[in-house]
Amino acid sequence: MANTKFIKSEFFFEEDVRESVAEVPVDKHQPWPENEKLKVVGKEIPRIDGYDKTSGTALYTFDINLPHMAHAKILRSVWPHARIKSIDTTQAENLPGVLAVITHKNIPEIKWFEDSFLFDTKIRYEGEEIAGIAAETEEIAEKALKLIKIEVEELDFTVDPGQAMKETAPKIHEGGNIVGGNPFTYERGNFEEGIKNADAIIEETYSTQVVVHNPTEPHCSVANWDGDKLTVWDSTQAIFTVRGVVSRALNIPENNVRVIKKYMGGGFGSKLAGGKYTVIAALLAKKTGRPVRLTLDRREMNLAVGNRPDSVQSLKLGAKKDGTLTAMSHYAYGSSGAYQSGAGCSWPFRTVYQCPNVKVEEYTVYINAGPGRPFRAPGHVQGTFAMDSAIDLLAGRINMDPLEFRLKNYAEKDQVYNIPYTSKKLREAYEAGAKAIGWEKRNKQPGVGTGRYKTGIGMGTQIWWGGGGPPAYVTLKLNRDYSVEVLAGSQDLGTGTYTFVAQVASEVLEIPMERISVILGDTGVVPYGPPSGGSVTSPSISPAVRDAAEQMKQKLMKAAAAVLSLKENDLVYKNGTVSSKSDPSKSIFLSDIMGKINEPVLVTTGAREANPEGYMIQTFGAQFADVEVDTLTGKVRVKKIVAAHDIGRVLNRTLLENQFHGGIIQGIGFALMEERIIDGNTGKVLTTNLHDYKLPLITDMPEIEVIIVSEGDPMISNTGVKGIGEPAHIPTAAAIANAIFNATGVQIKSTPMTPDKVLMALSQNS
Amino acid sequence: MKNFKYIPAESLEKASQKKDDSVLMAGGTDLLGMIKDDLLTPETVINLKSLKELKNIRYNAGKGLEIGALATITELAENSDVQKRFPVLVQTCKEIASPQLRNVGTVGGNLCQRPRCWYYRGEFNCLRKGGDTCFAVDGENKFHCVVGGGPCYIVHPSDLAVSLLALDASLEIFSNGKLKTVPIDDFFILPEQNETKENILEPGEIVTKIIVPEIPAGSKCAFIKFKERASWDFAVVSLGILLNTNGSTIKNGRIVFGGVAPRPWIDTALNTKLTGAATDEKNLKSLADSALLEAEPMSKNDYKIILVRNLLKQALIDLSKN
Amino acid sequence: MKSKDISRRKFIKNLGGGVIGAGVVLSHKPLKAEDQPAKDENKQNLARLNLTVNGKKVSLDIEPQTTLAQMLREKLKLTGTKVVCNHGECGACTVLLDGRPVYSCHMLALDAEGKEVITIEGLMEGEKLQPIQEAFVKHDGLQCGFCTPGQIMAAQGILNKNPRPDRLEIMEGMSGNICRCAAYPKILESAIAAAEKAE
Ligand SMILES: Cc1cc2nc3c(=O)[nH]c(=O)nc-3n(C[C@H](O)[C@H](O)[C@H](O)COP(=O)(O)OP(=O)(O)OC[C@H]3O[C@@H](n4cnc5c(N)ncnc54)[C@H](O)[C@@H]3O)c2cc1C
Ligand code: SF4
Ligand code: FES
Ligand code: FES
Repeated sequence: MANTKFIKSEFFFEEDVRESVAEVPVDKHQPWPENEKLKVVGKEIPRIDGYDKTSGTALYTFDINLPHMAHAKILRSVWPHARIKSIDTTQAENLPGVLAVITHKNIPEIKWFEDSFLFDTKIRYEGEEIAGIAAETEEIAEKALKLIKIEVEELDFTVDPGQAMKETAPKIHEGGNIVGGNPFTYERGNFEEGIKNADAIIEETYSTQVVVHNPTEPHCSVANWDGDKLTVWDSTQAIFTVRGVVSRALNIPENNVRVIKKYMGGGFGSKLAGGKYTVIAALLAKKTGRPVRLTLDRREMNLAVGNRPDSVQSLKLGAKKDGTLTAMSHYAYGSSGAYQSGAGCSWPFRTVYQCPNVKVEEYTVYINAGPGRPFRAPGHVQGTFAMDSAIDLLAGRINMDPLEFRLKNYAEKDQVYNIPYTSKKLREAYEAGAKAIGWEKRNKQPGVGTGRYKTGIGMGTQIWWGGGGPPAYVTLKLNRDYSVEVLAGSQDLGTGTYTFVAQVASEVLEIPMERISVILGDTGVVPYGPPSGGSVTSPSISPAVRDAAEQMKQKLMKAAAAVLSLKENDLVYKNGTVSSKSDPSKSIFLSDIMGKINEPVLVTTGAREANPEGYMIQTFGAQFADVEVDTLTGKVRVKKIVAAHDIGRVLNRTLLENQFHGGIIQGIGFALMEERIIDGNTGKVLTTNLHDYKLPLITDMPEIEVIIVSEGDPMISNTGVKGIGEPAHIPTAAAIANAIFNATGVQIKSTPMTPDKVLMALSQNS
Repeated sequence: MKNFKYIPAESLEKASQKKDDSVLMAGGTDLLGMIKDDLLTPETVINLKSLKELKNIRYNAGKGLEIGALATITELAENSDVQKRFPVLVQTCKEIASPQLRNVGTVGGNLCQRPRCWYYRGEFNCLRKGGDTCFAVDGENKFHCVVGGGPCYIVHPSDLAVSLLALDASLEIFSNGKLKTVPIDDFFILPEQNETKENILEPGEIVTKIIVPEIPAGSKCAFIKFKERASWDFAVVSLGILLNTNGSTIKNGRIVFGGVAPRPWIDTALNTKLTGAATDEKNLKSLADSALLEAEPMSKNDYKIILVRNLLKQALIDLSKN
Repeated sequence: MKSKDISRRKFIKNLGGGVIGAGVVLSHKPLKAEDQPAKDENKQNLARLNLTVNGKKVSLDIEPQTTLAQMLREKLKLTGTKVVCNHGECGACTVLLDGRPVYSCHMLALDAEGKEVITIEGLMEGEKLQPIQEAFVKHDGLQCGFCTPGQIMAAQGILNKNPRPDRLEIMEGMSGNICRCAAYPKILESAIAAAEKAE
């Protein structure tokens, strides 16, 4: 690696600010010019894994078939809250074809979550792991599950966060049901003063539902031991996290664990954590002496591998007649599930709009249900729905155009840390988006339309970190035949990591895409890279690729200087050939350089440089929705979404659009149809299949227009890239909600805004 | 899935002499789900598809349409006679499930499919499974019935049932070695009659065909299905309507509701008001508002009543226009 | 309209308690140990299946409850066909049966007796992608790719029926395939492009 230093660096991952000391390159490369000037980066290039994925040859963890492989299943609790008194596995063990059964009784105690274990005798949610079984086939393992006899003491349960917060509620953990014991609080200025100065005040409560990631490929692992070396194929967004979890759980050194993930069928945050199933597969593989595959089914996916916490948010906002926000308060609670996760959703509220007096108090509450996990912009989707709904209501109170209201309260600086942004082009996004949707066509008076179908236009604002940061490394191998392999400690979730890594290398080295291959997702071969979440992958990895490639170029120039006996500063690199500026007849192709120096493969390692100190990096954007509400049925059809965002540099327009489409349509799912429903009387989840848990279909998609107002953010890195996966998803629901408001004059204050809610709200209004 | 033996039905007789631990399967799109979820644990599955003669779709001018129970929903929708003379059935078929399921699921199976109540399909030992509780009563009953319920509150999931009842179809049933014909209205039952099944079929009885009379000349027909998702979703509510108007009044007609009751529902009071009713908008509106007067919604589904009335109003107005 | 006033019954009673087999505590007919066929009994219960898969005649003995998807993935190792819901609710397992798209997870393999099955692997000509597959690559009709084989087979099914489908037909034909990544706009674009190319 080139010259490096260690620096303190701050970066945001999902909802957390992470301060780390990281090794970063000393020399920064000149930031790239605007996209038009680049040859490969920013272009519409088909993804390089397209062949594998359309031919059926792409091997997912789900498809791994090792010789002599056994199949495992997990016994999960049918009770929401219980204490196990006894487990009898005799019958299961005696079933022909069963190879091994593990429970808390016959494995070492493995700590998990805050005060629990891999197999805990206290059950805190329906779907919690009780035992694992390996058998010759998955079917036999499933049958054996039913033969395990369990005696439990059932405990009172609570599945509603509002109820769980009360003193009288059944306790899920010793310390009570409020995660951390206290709310998160934040305050700036003086809220009460601010309210006094307001001409208009609104006070409303909004709520959002629990939604479940439901990636198509189930969570699954294949574990195979060779002596004390363990190889795990895992459908994961975070190979190094899984390696750490497995090594700690099994108490073996990390070098003995190799985690591989080539392709995965989606994650959306649900595959950011090391899973119990992975460790169970490894334990069963050890016990049976055979490779073991453990795949969750759709029901398990809907019970036990994460969700977006719900929220109840009470907002109070005040503004002057001229639109100036004077005070904002946010009181919220949401369910963590049975173990610690984050239900906080106030970040946008604290920082999107300029306001001197802000107060926040939010609670994350344990309930007897599957624990939450980050889900595509955790907190922000819920928070933005409530915040932007309230903003439109307040703007209406003072008869101000909601867009004008937002511009009036435009924040030039980050208000929480009181530091400037590296760049902020939200104003441009507002302008471009409003123009594209035809903002002037919106109802000046909400709900004025007549007839069965009422149309309306609404908007929402997005903020999200997405700047990435160190540590992130890339190894680049240049072969003498003018081909390249790039190894990155990252993973491709379907977001296009393989492709943009190749593009960046191709851009710098001027080697065609076809001659570049990319290797990701194998802890045994790739250098460290961050988990693929928080929209950090492209902003963290792309600068490291560029660094590695630039170093390779430097190396070739140095070698060429020696080979040609010329001064380095007299040389230029073009398309793999180094030539003399002063005497163009003197030139040498990289294959010849490498031949001369007798190096069949040249290697460099690149690193992500530090983020600038004293600046806040954020992505910004606005989405505009044009909807049609059927007043006879309450059904909302989203006709069009315009997404206008500032997300730094575009690496690949095609992949970018696809990401936006996904984020927006998932936003429609959140806004209009998806919901995990728990039966309050039994504490059991009712929506455990893909018919009761409704995901959007091709027939639910609107027309989508994606506008990018940024050309790159040179302050943050040598590629100027910010993430897009999460920004794309954040403001959709808010924009739809406000469009419904604009169409009907009625605000729907809880998601999903299903026809029954809309219809009842309309009928109560008329 | 549980192991079972899979045997072809050699004949109607043989198939109908099935034992308690065997089940009849047509396309299997519903049955396999039941077996996968342990709602059924058969030793033997009898494949009705081997009875090729039950696949025929035949139209006889004057007599009407005969649909073999084993015809797939796609076959029904693609039949040229059906397309020409019973477009409402084509319309209904297109609303059912997804293209792939329609390629496999049969018309008979669609009528005999089991309910979709999420307690029933889940791990709840409810009344319909022989338990002693209906979990929907004070549970999550947004999609349950508003009329005809008690002690169980399902809605019948079949879309074809709604259209076929509007068309006054009959079912031919093989029973005890003989064929009998039953009006479709008598085929479906309410939970108060028997809370563990949705129709009159006794074990071993087989639906062989569906007989649809000609649509009376001058009548218009429509199937309207409302679902939460744009496609591939069970009906929240649906309407099957047959209407014969002469300019300013309704000569006769029939209105059937789906998604509101444990069986396709004929609101008798409403239907008796049809003949002679004026077709001006105001009257049609008040007609629609008189639908489901006897409904007793559950805690989370009163919206269904508004929904039905709104959709009915619109449908009556549309159908009364020329 | 009044709400039904039905007294709440004892729910918890019906959730079981005491000594129970946890996996089936709430379903009405628990599998008992005696129900479990011994291994050799399984053998007796094998059935012979003859069909054509991707142009090749296949003949094998399978347990009757084997789904078509299980047979393809586990017996023939054709893992291009994915299983996402295993309940006929998502479309990932779509294959062509005598040219028409069906959910292979939700039908018995034995029901394919004598028929022709085409999977994503069967579209290929050696290592070469077919036009429909090329369209999905060119128009980026995918993200994670897990639903993609099913999407492509559904699209091929539409083209088999009508080589020149319009946009609405394509939308309808593709409505039985969930893409959680929601690459729908580009899936549609891919299918339209393939339809425009088809002769
Ligand atoms: C995801 C999904 C979505 C669906 N959406 C809809 C929808 O929107 N609208 C709708 O109407 N339906 C819907 N369905 C139901 C689907 O249409 C039915 O599953 C299908 O029509 C049943 O046909 P089959 O031939 O597969 O029946 P099978 O599964 O073979 O049989 C169903 C039941 O009927 C019995 N049976 C079948 N044929 C006969 C016969 N001839 N005589 C006596 N008994 C018989 C069987 O014993 C079994 O109990 C959906 C199903 C699924 C899985
Ligand atoms: S509505 Fe019927 S099927 Fe559903 S829980 Fe009640 S009794 Fe069971
Ligand atoms: S896996 Fe077959 S339809 Fe979902
Ligand atoms: S591409 Fe990921 S589910 Fe469709």
